[in-house]
Amino acid sequence: MIAPRSPTAAGARFLPGGKSPGNEGGIAGRPPAQMGASWLATQGRLSLAFMGLGLAWLGAATAMLAASPGVLAIPHAAPAVVSLTHAWVLGVFVTVATGAIYQIAPVALGTTLWRERFGWWHFGLHAASVPGMVFAFARWDMALLGHFGSLFALGIGLLAVNTWKTVRRSGRRDAVARSLQLAALWLLSTVVVGLVLAANRHWHFLPLDPLGLLRAHAHMGLVGFFLTLLQGVTFRLVPMFTLGAVPDWRPVRAGLWLSQLGLLVLVPALAFHLAYLACGGAVLVFAGMLASGHGLRQTLATRKKRALDPGLRAFVCGCAALLAGPLVGLLLLWPASAWGSAPGGLGATPYALIVFLGGLLPVFAGMLCKIVPFLTWMRAYGPKVGREPIPTAGALSHLRVESWSLCLQAVAVVPLVVGACTLKPGFLLAGAWLLAAGVALFLGNALAVLRHLWSPQCARAPGSLLP
Amino acid sequence: MTTGEPTLASIWEVLTTILDPEFGVSIVDLGLIYSVECSAGNVHVVLTLTTPTCPAGAWIREGVLAALRQIAGVRDVRADLVFDPMWNVRMVTAEGRRQLGWSIGA
Repeated sequence: MIAPRSPTAAGARFLPGGKSPGNEGGIAGRPPAQMGASWLATQGRLSLAFMGLGLAWLGAATAMLAASPGVLAIPHAAPAVVSLTHAWVLGVFVTVATGAIYQIAPVALGTTLWRERFGWWHFGLHAASVPGMVFAFARWDMALLGHFGSLFALGIGLLAVNTWKTVRRSGRRDAVARSLQLAALWLLSTVVVGLVLAANRHWHFLPLDPLGLLRAHAHMGLVGFFLTLLQGVTFRLVPMFTLGAVPDWRPVRAGLWLSQLGLLVLVPALAFHLAYLACGGAVLVFAGMLASGHGLRQTLATRKKRALDPGLRAFVCGCAALLAGPLVGLLLLWPASAWGSAPGGLGATPYALIVFLGGLLPVFAGMLCKIVPFLTWMRAYGPKVGREPIPTAGALSHLRVESWSLCLQAVAVVPLVVGACTLKPGFLLAGAWLLAAGVALFLGNALAVLRHLWSPQCARAPGSLLP
Repeated sequence: MTTGEPTLASIWEVLTTILDPEFGVSIVDLGLIYSVECSAGNVHVVLTLTTPTCPAGAWIREGVLAALRQIAGVRDVRADLVFDPMWNVRMVTAEGRRQLGWSIGA
C-alpha cells in the first residue's frame, strides 16, 4: 500500500536514495544525523555549559557597571575600566561566541567536533581564568594577570586546535569554514599579544608606546575574532533559522577577505601610531562590513519564515549597528581629530560603548535567544518527540519579555554614550540602570528556559505534539 | 493495542502531530515526509531534513519511529532518512506556507 497523498508542493519527486539496511531503517546522509544514541544523549551539553557561563557573566558584568557607572567617566586605560571591559569582552562575548562555535561549527561544517574532551578542558580553563583576570585587572596585579592569562590562553589554544582540526576534517573550504579558522587564529593571537602586553607592563622589554599596543590588541580581538566570526557563521545561522538561502556567496567572500586585509593594515598601524595607514585599514574593514551587510540583506530577502523573532531581530540590528564602529573609529583616528583617549567628547569610551553594547551585545543576546532554547529543547524534549506532548523550542521563551529586555538594552546605550561624552553622572546612572533592567528581564527569561532542563513541562504546552 | 491494519490516513495524521522544533510547523507540512507505505502492519516512511546537518534531525527520526509504533495494528516501523532529493522550500505545503507567513510568490 503506497501513500495516496502527496504532502509536498509541485516539483517534489519521491526518490528515496541510499537507504541503509536495518530493521528501523537508516540514514543516507552525513553526520551528525547518523550518530548513535550515546551521541544524541550528550550533544549540546558543551555549548549549553558555555552559554550558561555567558549568562552568569552577563549578570556579573552588568552588576559591575550598575554598581559604579562613574568608571565610564575616567580614562579608558584605568584599572577599573580595563577590568570592566574584560568582564564584558571575555566574560560575556567570548564565552557566548565560544559556545556558539562549539554548537555551530559542526552543524555548519557537516561533521562533529574533533575532540569534545578538549572543549571541556577549555571550559574548565575559561571558567577558572576569566574571573581571575578581571580581579587581577582591577587590582592591577600584572603577575597575577599573567598566571590567569596563561590559563586562559591555554584554553583558547585548545579551541583553536579543535576548530582547525574540525574544519580540516570536514574538507570544507568555503567562507564559513575560513571564517571559523581565521576567527580562532585571531583570538589566539589577541590573547598572546595581551599576555605580552601584561609582561611588558611588568618587565618593560618592548620599546613601544603601551597605548598603541593596547589599541592593536583590542582591534585584533574586535575585528579579528568577533567580526571575522560573524562574517562567516551569520550565513549559516540566518538561513537555518529563517528557511532562507545565501543567493550569492561573492559578497560574503569579499566581505571576509576585505576585513582581513583591513585588519592586516590596521593592527601594525595602530601599534606604531601610523594614523593615515590606520585610517586606510579602517576603510578596508568598513568596506568588508558593507559587503557582508549586502550579503546578509540578500540572504534575509530569501527567507520563507517571514516574521523575524526578537532574537533574530536583535542579531540583525546588532550587525547593522556594528557598522558604526569603523566610522567612529575613523573619526578618532583621523590625524587632525581633536578626539582622543582623554575622558569626555567622542573618545575611546563612547567608541567602546557603541561597539560593545550597541553592536556586540544585541548580536550575542540574539544568539543566546536562539541557541539556549534550542539546546534546552534538544536535551529536555528531544528524547520525548513522538512519545508525549512537547513544546517547540520557541515556545520555551516568553517572546514579549525577550522583546522588552532587548529593547531596554538597546535604549540604554543612548544615555551611556551621552554620559560618557558629556561626563554627566546622571546619564551614566540612567543608562547603567536601564541596561540592568534589560539584562535582569533577559536573565529571568533565560532561567525560565533553562528550568525546562530540570522540570520539563510536557502536558498542555503551547505547540505541543500529540494532543 | 487493537489488531487490524492501520490506515495510511491514520499514519499521516500521527506524522502531522510531530512539529519541527524551530519553526513549529508539522514535519508533514514542511514537506519532510517523502513517502509512506504500509503493508500488513509494516510501516515504511521515507523522510528528510531541511538541512542534512540539522541538529534535531536524529530526534525527529526517532520521534517518527516512536509515534508510529503507538498506532494500533502497527507491527514494525522503518524510517529512512534520505537527502536525495534534497529538501527545498517548494516542498512546503500550502498550510506550512500559511503558518510561516510566506506566500507562494514570495
